[in-house]
Amino acid sequence: MRLSIFALLSLSLGLVAAKKSPQEELTELAAAGNGVIKVTNERTFDLLTLPSRNWSAAIQFTALNPQRKCKPCSEFDPSFTAVAKAWTTVSEPERSDHFWATLDFDEAQQVFQKLSLASAPVVHFYMPLAGPRGRAKDTPLKYDFSHGFEAGPLAEQLSSHTPVPIPYKAPIDWASWAVYAAFGLFFLVTLPLVAPFLQNRWVWAAGSIVTSLIMTSGYMFTRIRGMPMTSGGQWIAAGYQSQYGQETQVVAAIYGLLGGSFLMLTMVTPTQTSPARQRTQVYVWTAIIFVVYSILIALFKMKNRGYPFSLLF
Amino acid sequence: MPVAYPLPKDLSPATVANTASLLRIVALALISGAAIASRLFAVVNFESIIHEFDPWFNYRATKVLAEKGFYEFWNWFDPTAWYPLGRVVGGTIYPGLMATSGVIYSFLHAINLPVDIRNICVMLAPGFSALTAWATYMFTKELKDESAGLLAAAFMGIVPGYISRSVAGSYDNEAIAIFLLMFTFYAWIKALKQGSAFFGTVAAVFYFYMVAAWGGYAFITNMIPLHSLVLILMGRYTNRLYVAYSSWYAIGTLSSMQVPFVGFQPVSTSEHMGALGVFGLLQIIAFSQLIHSHLPSKQFKTVVLGSVISIGLLGTAAIVTLTVRGSIAPWTGRFYSMWDTGYAKKYIPIIASVSEHQPTAWPSFFMDLQFLIFLFPAGVVYCFKQLRDEHLFVIIYAVVASYFAGVMVRLMLTLTPIVCVTAAVALSELLDTYIDPQEPDASAEVADVAAPSDNASAATPSKKVKKAAAAASAAPSNPISDLVNANAPAKTKKASKSRGIFGLDTRIAVIFNTTMMLLFFVAHCTWVTSSAYSSPSVVLASTNPDGSQHIIDDFREAYYWLRQNTAEDAVVMSWWDYGYQIAGMADRPTLVDNNTWNNTHIATVGKAMSSSEEVAYPILRKHDVDYILIIFGGLIGYSGDDINKFLWMVRIAQGVWPDEIQEPNYFTPQGDYRIDDQASQAMKDSLMYKMSYYRFSDLFGGQQATDRVRNQAVPKVGPTLDYIEEAYTSENWIVRIYAVKKEDPLGRDLKSANAFAEGKKRKRTKPMTRRRAII
Repeated sequence: MRLSIFALLSLSLGLVAAKKSPQEELTELAAAGNGVIKVTNERTFDLLTLPSRNWSAAIQFTALNPQRKCKPCSEFDPSFTAVAKAWTTVSEPERSDHFWATLDFDEAQQVFQKLSLASAPVVHFYMPLAGPRGRAKDTPLKYDFSHGFEAGPLAEQLSSHTPVPIPYKAPIDWASWAVYAAFGLFFLVTLPLVAPFLQNRWVWAAGSIVTSLIMTSGYMFTRIRGMPMTSGGQWIAAGYQSQYGQETQVVAAIYGLLGGSFLMLTMVTPTQTSPARQRTQVYVWTAIIFVVYSILIALFKMKNRGYPFSLLF
Repeated sequence: MPVAYPLPKDLSPATVANTASLLRIVALALISGAAIASRLFAVVNFESIIHEFDPWFNYRATKVLAEKGFYEFWNWFDPTAWYPLGRVVGGTIYPGLMATSGVIYSFLHAINLPVDIRNICVMLAPGFSALTAWATYMFTKELKDESAGLLAAAFMGIVPGYISRSVAGSYDNEAIAIFLLMFTFYAWIKALKQGSAFFGTVAAVFYFYMVAAWGGYAFITNMIPLHSLVLILMGRYTNRLYVAYSSWYAIGTLSSMQVPFVGFQPVSTSEHMGALGVFGLLQIIAFSQLIHSHLPSKQFKTVVLGSVISIGLLGTAAIVTLTVRGSIAPWTGRFYSMWDTGYAKKYIPIIASVSEHQPTAWPSFFMDLQFLIFLFPAGVVYCFKQLRDEHLFVIIYAVVASYFAGVMVRLMLTLTPIVCVTAAVALSELLDTYIDPQEPDASAEVADVAAPSDNASAATPSKKVKKAAAAASAAPSNPISDLVNANAPAKTKKASKSRGIFGLDTRIAVIFNTTMMLLFFVAHCTWVTSSAYSSPSVVLASTNPDGSQHIIDDFREAYYWLRQNTAEDAVVMSWWDYGYQIAGMADRPTLVDNNTWNNTHIATVGKAMSSSEEVAYPILRKHDVDYILIIFGGLIGYSGDDINKFLWMVRIAQGVWPDEIQEPNYFTPQGDYRIDDQASQAMKDSLMYKMSYYRFSDLFGGQQATDRVRNQAVPKVGPTLDYIEEAYTSENWIVRIYAVKKEDPLGRDLKSANAFAEGKKRKRTKPMTRRRAII
């Protein structure tokens, strides 16, 4: 008897709660969380992804607990929050047609299991199933992280699914502007001091040669591909079409040494007035060219296994 | 004057000069021969065939030009490309290459040499490489001297970085463009040196030829203004610069606008604004100089200076405003992606997907340039030492080109000439120093030996002194050495006394070392050319167990099958890489080809390939596709196949239909790209996967089927096809062709029609079992 009263009570409570439509409830939750609904239980998740929803939802699945050691999660979370915050500036009827939610692994593990998610961070975009934007299929779109964890591409990509484009604007990076301005000012102030250096051709020569050495040793490859300096104790990447950052330095140094040896032979050695010293120099530089060139060939053979030639090594 | 080795005394200077020039001509002829011969590996190893992809289109266009004449070619609308859109070929190509072959063809026929147009196309690139070697010689001669020029020509003739784009059969724009590039630069240097309007005009004419031949002309359009700008900033403005630049810019720009594909771009796009800006700047400077020379009044000069600066500012502001308002087109994507290297991957995946647009790793540099790559900085140092106007040009070129070559493998081609030039300059300087028979004055060394600090080495030099003294007495005065001395302008006569090399052994050591490096370079170039750069890629070669060569000719086999067995208007769908080949060899309409002008159309093909059969079928039918052609390397291990390119199809389709195609769906949950049992559902359902592995496991007769490219086991139960059927599979399964079924005559869905047909069969077998049960 007491039990039934309790059941009745809870039912009526439930009725009171049910009077609010799910959308209103979510709007409140979103407002409370500064634009982001914090999903801590399965119920909220089910509410967000209600089969009769006429709103869309972007849900971030993450694991921010430091014990989880998910570095990308903590990298991505600020971007997601920033984009969600930008959404709060959208005017009313559209604003509550789309929700942002974040779901931490340690708070709603069962949701992760239900969706059989094995990695984080993941962003699912649930399209509405009812209303004017309604879709027939209830499969979430997965956000493609190939553009990195920045907020810009996230807002740009999701804008094609939200009711109105996300009014996200990248914050102006005052710090870097200040640094640039400081550098410019520094340059202007020291201009009279550095002017003789800038007019010296050998300063420019050093600059040009270092630039071309670095460029011809594959620096742009490592930058564009984001190659690490070394990987797993290896500093030579396997394969002809690949290289690590360390290789750039070694190869640039080898090229520099070889080119320098030739320059020594043509520019410095002939000015030597002592025959003995000159002879020593000639033989030393010739030997250096031969040995270093052999090392370079050996290095190249490691990259291109089919190369048939070798010198010393 | 001491010499290291005796020289013949009884030669007149005229004889020496004549012999030298004869030797130069012979050397240049031999270099041309070597340049052409080393490019013939492709013809010797395979046959006289057009290579790769783009050359097939150029060849097809040239055939039209040769058969129908220039005006037909100019107005050619090709309805079979980009079906159903078609392509206005005359207005969307650089016609220089085809026009060149057309002229050669007409000329040879006019003198009654009936050469096949194909052989002209195949041999055009080697022929022009000989001209490139000559242009490099002329260019380097302006920097240093003839001997450096010869070295540069020899390097240019055989360097793999250039051979890679100019073997026989590689009938592409680059084949003639590098010659034009080098010759334009030579004419520019010459014009600048002499202040000659004639050479400026020559530069402009070759610039026009270059514009007509290659999209890379933008490199010249920006290099020459950059050089002029640097000269102005260094305070090296001269009237020679004014004459050279103005004649080049005015004539070059006007003539380049005659190419329909270029049109008004020279005055309306950002790539060309630098050239226009420098032109304006030069006019302002010239004007102010004129005023300066005529008006002594100081106040008036200030007024002129003020007005000149304000005119300059107004001009810049006008250009900026026009750019912002959109009258001047901003940088094109291709150009922009060279500065912001992440740009292409984000916004134009179709550019990022091309393998020759990838960044360059260091082994590629070494493979293509070998020991030139480390002589290159030494040569740049030499240029800094001289620092005449033309040396500045080389320095700017070197820095800019090495950056571009690092960003894109393809632009190695523009770096190669300057590396050859600078390396030749450095090496020729070394050889000059060590071949020169003159030794430094003994007095200087005696003074040095006499110094008490150097006791240990005193023994050897004194011997050396004797030897040198003996040599000196043997040849007290030598007309030849005087001549040699006079021929080497880099050395001043006074300085040569204290500057030079002692002894013969040192000379021999350095020269022997250098000669060996040169020989090694030749061996390297020959090996690279024969093993890496001479494959036509239309015909593949493999080695039999007994070492003999086995030719894999699947591509032509399949294209000829299409030509022979399908209706002439049958539309063939394939990934864009094979569009030109299908048009060239099979002569069938294609949906997309290597021109890649319409991203959406390519994305449509990508979508059809990466969707399931049910989704793809309406797309195929709407585009009237009759056959689908795919490349599959899993059987013989050909890694450049469509499954390996598949992710780009998905990416490009995703760019247009982000909610229908999503790249992550094609990976396993672990994020791997697999084709075995663990492959994701989207992958297994995709048309590309199904077509690639259809009936593949049957081939292994019950054993485990393995894909030899990806080294993964293929599922035993292969995919089934309802909407398309296998039409043809080539010998090694590299090319597979599928026919698209027509709609079911009864109006059923093809899938249910197939199920019904199979169901009927099952019913027939049922009585058998029942009968068995009764017994």
